[in-house]
Amino acid sequence: MIAFNEIVREALKSQAAAKQRTVLALIGIVIGIGSVIALVTVGQMVQLTSEQQFRQMGTNIITIQRGWGDSKAGAGKQDRQGEMITWSEAKGLAKKFPKLEAVSPYTSSWGQPLYADKSLDMPVLGVTSSFGNINKLTMAQGRFISDLDGYSFFGVLGAGAAAKLRQRGAKKLLGETVFFKGRGFKIIGVLNRAEEGGMRPFEINPGMMIPIHTSFLFKQNRSLTEIMARLAPGMDRRKLAYSLEQYFKMYHPKLSIQVRSAEQLIAEMAKQSRLFTLLLAAIGSISLLVGGIGVMNVMLVAVSERRKEIGIRRALGAMQIDIRAQFLVESVILCLAGGVIGIALGVGAAYVLAKVNEWIFFVSGMGLVLGVGVSSAIGVFFGYFPARQASRLDPILALRDE
Amino acid sequence: MALIELSSITKTYHIGEMDVDVLKGVDLSVEAGELLAIMGESGGGKSTLMNIIGFLDSPSGGAYKFDGEDVDHLDDNDLARIRNQKIGFIFQQFNLLPRLTALENVSLPLVYRGVPSHQREKLAEQMLKRVGMGDRMTHHPPELSGGQQQRVAIARALSGSPSLILADEPTGALDSQVSQEIMDIFLDLNREKKITTVMVTHDPKVGRQCRRTVRMADGCLVEV
Repeated sequence: MIAFNEIVREALKSQAAAKQRTVLALIGIVIGIGSVIALVTVGQMVQLTSEQQFRQMGTNIITIQRGWGDSKAGAGKQDRQGEMITWSEAKGLAKKFPKLEAVSPYTSSWGQPLYADKSLDMPVLGVTSSFGNINKLTMAQGRFISDLDGYSFFGVLGAGAAAKLRQRGAKKLLGETVFFKGRGFKIIGVLNRAEEGGMRPFEINPGMMIPIHTSFLFKQNRSLTEIMARLAPGMDRRKLAYSLEQYFKMYHPKLSIQVRSAEQLIAEMAKQSRLFTLLLAAIGSISLLVGGIGVMNVMLVAVSERRKEIGIRRALGAMQIDIRAQFLVESVILCLAGGVIGIALGVGAAYVLAKVNEWIFFVSGMGLVLGVGVSSAIGVFFGYFPARQASRLDPILALRDE
Repeated sequence: MALIELSSITKTYHIGEMDVDVLKGVDLSVEAGELLAIMGESGGGKSTLMNIIGFLDSPSGGAYKFDGEDVDHLDDNDLARIRNQKIGFIFQQFNLLPRLTALENVSLPLVYRGVPSHQREKLAEQMLKRVGMGDRMTHHPPELSGGQQQRVAIARALSGSPSLILADEPTGALDSQVSQEIMDIFLDLNREKKITTVMVTHDPKVGRQCRRTVRMADGCLVEV
């Protein structure tokens, strides 16, 4: 068998000669590899971006919610006393679990607060002062809810809610009054826009925050939506989850709770995102399959068009393996060229998507390796049959070909 | 010693239900340094015989000794190797690869022999100069006349310094003046380099210039 570099040289010459056909065959591979690269990169960028959102807030955040597990109550009976987490357990939590550095219970309800006699569709959150700290909220104007606010009718606006108010004609937000459930709340602060995602309640930006005790005025049982807490470093999450469960059982024997940690969510998300990436890659693979079949077709045409050449080469002493190698290398080079263009286009597409969606852009090394590897593999796989056909031509018949 | 030793060579093609005997027991012995013309009508089995002598085809029966060696139990790779190292083919239609330059065409047999490229080029250049094509080395075959293409083909056949040149109607596609020029190259090579040459032709003018002529008719060989 002849040297590899000779085969490559021959292959490059043949490709250069058949320009138009080469380009057409490339399109399938370019689209296939390009979409796989773009999809895989986007999948990884989305994952990285949402992970970043978690990390920005800190991965040591947990949330405690009422679980759905063994609650035997029907859907209509959810608010029954004894099956909800309430203020009293939250209050005792910090004392009982000194390793929880910050405990922030909150309530949330969706309502139609009124401003200047116009209804504003927004969530209202009952919070303590630690809510601002744990969610890393920063003030644009005024101050946040303080624990000293007690039952006062003060409100702090999220950035989205503030924008809504401005739309309705509010000039200066501080000191304005928003009516909720018949009571007037004086705006004492406006938040900067909080990053979305992660463990942060989604209601922050579009909502209004009021003192938690004030929010209990509108609820019968001082029940909470969720308790957020920050863990001291080096805590065993599983043990903590277990003892938290025991703690709540003391108050409500029938209550099951759900403790979710940022870390656990990140792991779940990573799992989901892997699945998603895999799914996207599978879709991309279909276009690769089509591209590969295109390459096979082109190679079969090349073999039948070059029967004479094959015959001549065989007469001059090329072995079957030389002919096979020649066509196989041609097909791999074809696919690799398509792969490289596809990678460039795929990365480009991912870059544009990242810019538009404000994802963190990065080029996935795995994607590049995958792209090059897959395109070579396609070249070998779909080139093998035509190459074998070429090598098995009877030299006499091939020579007789015109 | 005879370079080619054919005894009772037969070749049968199966075409559908029918068996067609193309060669019906050919005996032929060619000494090293000979210049032999095989003449005869088309369809007489000349090309089949050439293919067998050139290791492109194997006989159905009989024995073939090449350079003193039995060659009837060789596999496809062995045959390719012999073609590459012992045989130089020249065809009626020149059979150059149009994408390659004259120089690349001439060095092609050396590619399959694993000769490094700089050495290949040097050898190919020598061969092209020998056939008077030293000034056309970077031309592609379509840019050359028929006679020039056949010269390049001869250079290609010579580049591997084969023991045997097999020429199948080498002047068949050329006009008579160019034919003679090509024929002169063959005669020169045979006279000066003692290159054994077997040539198939139906041109009596060409046949007459060969020292020995055999006639092929209906699958049998007759010495003339």
